[in-house]
Amino acid sequence: MKILTIQLLIGLVLFSCATTKTTSRVDDADQKDVAEEVLTPADQSTGQPTTGSLDRSHPPEPGPAPVIQLGTAEAFTMDNGLKVFVVENHKLPRVAFSLVLDLDAIYEGDNAGYISTAGQLLSRGTTTRSKSQIDQEVDFIGASLSTSASGVYGSSLTKHMDRLLELMADVTLNPSFPQEELDKIKTETISGLQANKDDPGAIASNVRGVLRYGKDHPYGELITEETVSRIDIEACKAFYETYFKPNIGYLAIVGDIDKDQAYQLVDKYFGQWEKGDVPEHEYDKTTAPESTRVALVDRPQSVQSTINITYPVELKTGDPDVLKGRVMNTILGGGFSSYLMQNLRETHGYTYGAGSSLSSDRLIGSFNASADVRNEVTDSAVVEFMNELRRIREEPVDEELLQSIKNYITGSFARSLESPSTIANFAINVDRYDLPEDYYSNYLKRIQEVTVSDVMEMAQKYIKPDNAYILVVGKASEVAEGLKQFGPVQYYDIYGEPYTPTTAADLSGEIEVGQVIEKYLEALGGAESLRNIQDIKQVMTTNMQGLDLQITSIRKAPNMSFETVAAGDMEFQKQVFNGTEGVEVVQGQSKPLDDKRIQESLVESRIIPELAYGELGVELTLTGLEKVGDEESYVVEIAQPSGKKSYAYYSKESGLKLKESTTLETPQGSFTQSVEYEDYREVDGVKFPYKAIISMGPQKMEAEVVSIELNTGVTDDVFKLD
Amino acid sequence: MKVLSLMLVACFLPLVTLFGQSPDIDFVEYELDNGLHVILHQDNSTPIVAVSIMYHVGSKNEDPQRTGFAHFFEHLLFEGSENIDRGQFDKLVTSAGGAMNANTWYDRTYYYEVLPSNQLALGLYLESERLLHAKIDSIGIETQREVVKEERRLRVDNTPYGSVLEETMKRSYQVHPYRWPVIGSMDHLNAAKDQEFMEFYKTFYVPENAVLSLAGDLDIEEAKALVEKYFAEIPRGGHEIPKPTVVEPPQTAEIRDVVYDNIQLPAVIQSYHVPAQGTEDFYAVSMLAQLLSQGESSRLSKSVKDEQQKALFVGAFPLDLEDPGVTIAFGIANTGVSPEELEAAMDAEYEKVKSELISEEEFQKLRNQIENDFISANSRVAGIAESLANYHMYYGDANLINTEIERYLDVTREDIQRVANKYFTRENRVVLYYLPKSAQQQPETTDIENER
Repeated sequence: MKILTIQLLIGLVLFSCATTKTTSRVDDADQKDVAEEVLTPADQSTGQPTTGSLDRSHPPEPGPAPVIQLGTAEAFTMDNGLKVFVVENHKLPRVAFSLVLDLDAIYEGDNAGYISTAGQLLSRGTTTRSKSQIDQEVDFIGASLSTSASGVYGSSLTKHMDRLLELMADVTLNPSFPQEELDKIKTETISGLQANKDDPGAIASNVRGVLRYGKDHPYGELITEETVSRIDIEACKAFYETYFKPNIGYLAIVGDIDKDQAYQLVDKYFGQWEKGDVPEHEYDKTTAPESTRVALVDRPQSVQSTINITYPVELKTGDPDVLKGRVMNTILGGGFSSYLMQNLRETHGYTYGAGSSLSSDRLIGSFNASADVRNEVTDSAVVEFMNELRRIREEPVDEELLQSIKNYITGSFARSLESPSTIANFAINVDRYDLPEDYYSNYLKRIQEVTVSDVMEMAQKYIKPDNAYILVVGKASEVAEGLKQFGPVQYYDIYGEPYTPTTAADLSGEIEVGQVIEKYLEALGGAESLRNIQDIKQVMTTNMQGLDLQITSIRKAPNMSFETVAAGDMEFQKQVFNGTEGVEVVQGQSKPLDDKRIQESLVESRIIPELAYGELGVELTLTGLEKVGDEESYVVEIAQPSGKKSYAYYSKESGLKLKESTTLETPQGSFTQSVEYEDYREVDGVKFPYKAIISMGPQKMEAEVVSIELNTGVTDDVFKLD
Repeated sequence: MKVLSLMLVACFLPLVTLFGQSPDIDFVEYELDNGLHVILHQDNSTPIVAVSIMYHVGSKNEDPQRTGFAHFFEHLLFEGSENIDRGQFDKLVTSAGGAMNANTWYDRTYYYEVLPSNQLALGLYLESERLLHAKIDSIGIETQREVVKEERRLRVDNTPYGSVLEETMKRSYQVHPYRWPVIGSMDHLNAAKDQEFMEFYKTFYVPENAVLSLAGDLDIEEAKALVEKYFAEIPRGGHEIPKPTVVEPPQTAEIRDVVYDNIQLPAVIQSYHVPAQGTEDFYAVSMLAQLLSQGESSRLSKSVKDEQQKALFVGAFPLDLEDPGVTIAFGIANTGVSPEELEAAMDAEYEKVKSELISEEEFQKLRNQIENDFISANSRVAGIAESLANYHMYYGDANLINTEIERYLDVTREDIQRVANKYFTRENRVVLYYLPKSAQQQPETTDIENER
């Protein structure tokens, strides 16, 4: 246990799980061999008894199935309407309290995020305790306590439960909402959101919600940096005062305690909690699209596409279809032997893992099938997804597989009973969702009764390959074309706003690539004055997470360069190119540039490379129109003779270069590095950007120019390779 | 979000979980003629049973030229056996309604299944097949080589701070095998011949090097008979099990270094040499780490994270190691905080512990936390099976599951102060700064800067 804890803590997990055993992204050919080997056990081993007298050729038969008995929960309701469920379990001298509020989904609007913030704030201070006092008291009894917008959880040894419940009641009934704690939470939330902007999984999750439910629905609205910045104490308090009422609360008490003790404790600490009317909320229904559509979020740096095939479904919590639907979905995408996993991973080797979910909900349910796949197999993977979605609708499931899936679900159910809180949750669900009293006691029986035709019926009802959103977050220039076969392709930004990209074809007749470059040179000050620059010295500074770095760059025509990065006296890196060869020094280790880097330096060591692209054999292609920030810009692909490709973005309006991006291959995988240029200022009649925002994967830093000097008579000595 | 999710994980996991159990865990233990040690714990409250087997082989038993073998076997042994076809191991367990997994550490390798209790025989059959005649052939070896590379990419190379343990251990140890990572060298795995894997299997996967631990809804006598049926015929290896004898010499001067990683925020890592698990000082060091890191009111969390706002996450954790190990302190700097500032703030907390005896009240907090964790630790049969096996394998005393708490309660306030002074010293540590790779990539970006 502890081993795993520490590994997780430091981000290193050395254990491997069984289901990763045949995973690999080996070449297709290899993968196929492996798959055939698995699928056709042309059998070296129908097995002779190997040792002794035991016949080991077949696995042993199971004994009679054990009776799975559900414990019982005792329930009572307090005068203020709080419903309490007690599950006694005296194995260990400890007890857990879980308070859950039965809240409708709430649409938050322009300060979205305030509800979860309010939940976090509860344990950050009460009218009589500061945050550090609460922490101190909880830790002193070795307990745990946490709060959220929908409830409060605490656990401790039985002997400390009185104290624990007092603390729980204090944060529930008397939170003080300190401003400085709100500020801390907002800062943390915003840094999390910033990191998310680059995370394909987080982007997919946002856009998925918008597609399924729309932005005006609580399940579709987005929490953004802007909405979080608008959260104030008043909104958090108002949420708390309106919704934290005992009459919508369920308190589960589980462990070494009996009903009488539980009643007395709850009465003592939560008896004074006053009830009140809590508003209810209803929302318009959302439906699956009339025909299948492709939603594409362009993430130019992606090497994998995140595929989600999704739509809302009409499936309420507690509906009799939920259980049969679970069996059907488990066959389709619920585990290692599911259709999707077998096809996309085992047979085709497109992905590390593929799966699906069918979720019920009191408002509106959803279906989602997903996988991350290599760019080049994106459309092929979608084809296979669609094949499997059709297959489960049309082809009766194999009886043996069905039985195996039922056993799997039964086993998971039995294992979940080891935790006494499972029983409390069952009891609460029955009350909360109006389930039949025998919903859980007969759960396994009803699972066993699911038939082949039930599975098909569920599939035909809930699996809709012709009414789905195919959401792909990936590199549009490589995957868009192949996705057209599945339906109209609509582009979305990372916030789920649709837009129409301008392609090279749309630009033909409007402008050519040469004109874009000419316009740029003109905007800088004109080719004439640019050619007059013989040398340039530029110093920039940047602060990288507390470390002040100085970047010095010197160039001399036609193609000599010298660059260093240093923090004070400590030089991290240096690169020098003398026009024919070069050297790179990283932390004192010196290494000559290889042929490819020399070839690239011939281009990149130019003061203004755009002046010389023609003579250097650099190929330029205009690929479209994209926005950099709010500015429309022409995108030009720059292909060097070395094979290195990069993209430059020139403003449609001003002609200036707004951004450059390159994909770098490193031992750790490929990263996209981009630099955005801002704040162009004139130096001796030529414009230079004074600010650069450098992104490397999810990291961002800003560099500012300290000085730029032109034509100071830099000598060749600067570029000596010693 | 990666950084934050790491912190979330850290906040919700209890720091110290291997304390065992306070109301007595009854168990039966015995040895088969072939040397296999068997431990049985009966608990009929839920109709499930955990079947586990722990092998006393980890990365520290490896040939320095063939690192990664122990972990490689953890993969290879899901490939099947003479009687179980490739791909069937998983299918047999899941279609029986069970779950399974395995993990590898510096000192041991562990496999387990949690099954409905009427499938106990299946679990024993599977584990006995694994021990008797696992399938070790070129197809399986080839497949798993690719899988392990994928695993390395996923968990080490592609995870922010994923290489911390590897980078720290290789500087903390000069001669002891803890210096190489459990996942090992991909070059070594590529270079290894099939025959070498077979030899490793024959050397370490023998009954006298294993503990079979069962817990859950079983009947002791029936379980004994089934264990006999499936395991008695497995022959003893009959040879000495290779164990490293090399002793790491004391470190005499601080080692400092910088690692560039694909991260957003810099991190400070300090690794202090501490005694092996189970020694008196180890318990005191554990409580020191607990004082520093367990709970929001702990010294590092409260001061460095919450009050000074210098870290997004900070804590110190002793690794459980059979030979003398390390305690690793780990802090992720808050936005705008330099690693130097964070390190100074962490050091200041250690200095406080060294110079001022902790209060009776704070000491009582530590003991209360220990009691809570000790009682809560073994709430599941899978955890009980593993703890029993651990205690037997490392200490030869499975009953520590009931009594180890006394060793913690023997630690005094003065002990905590003493071990802080003894082990948390500059010359006894390795300090690493993790910095964003963009720092190193800078010249690349200045190239672009001037391309205009």
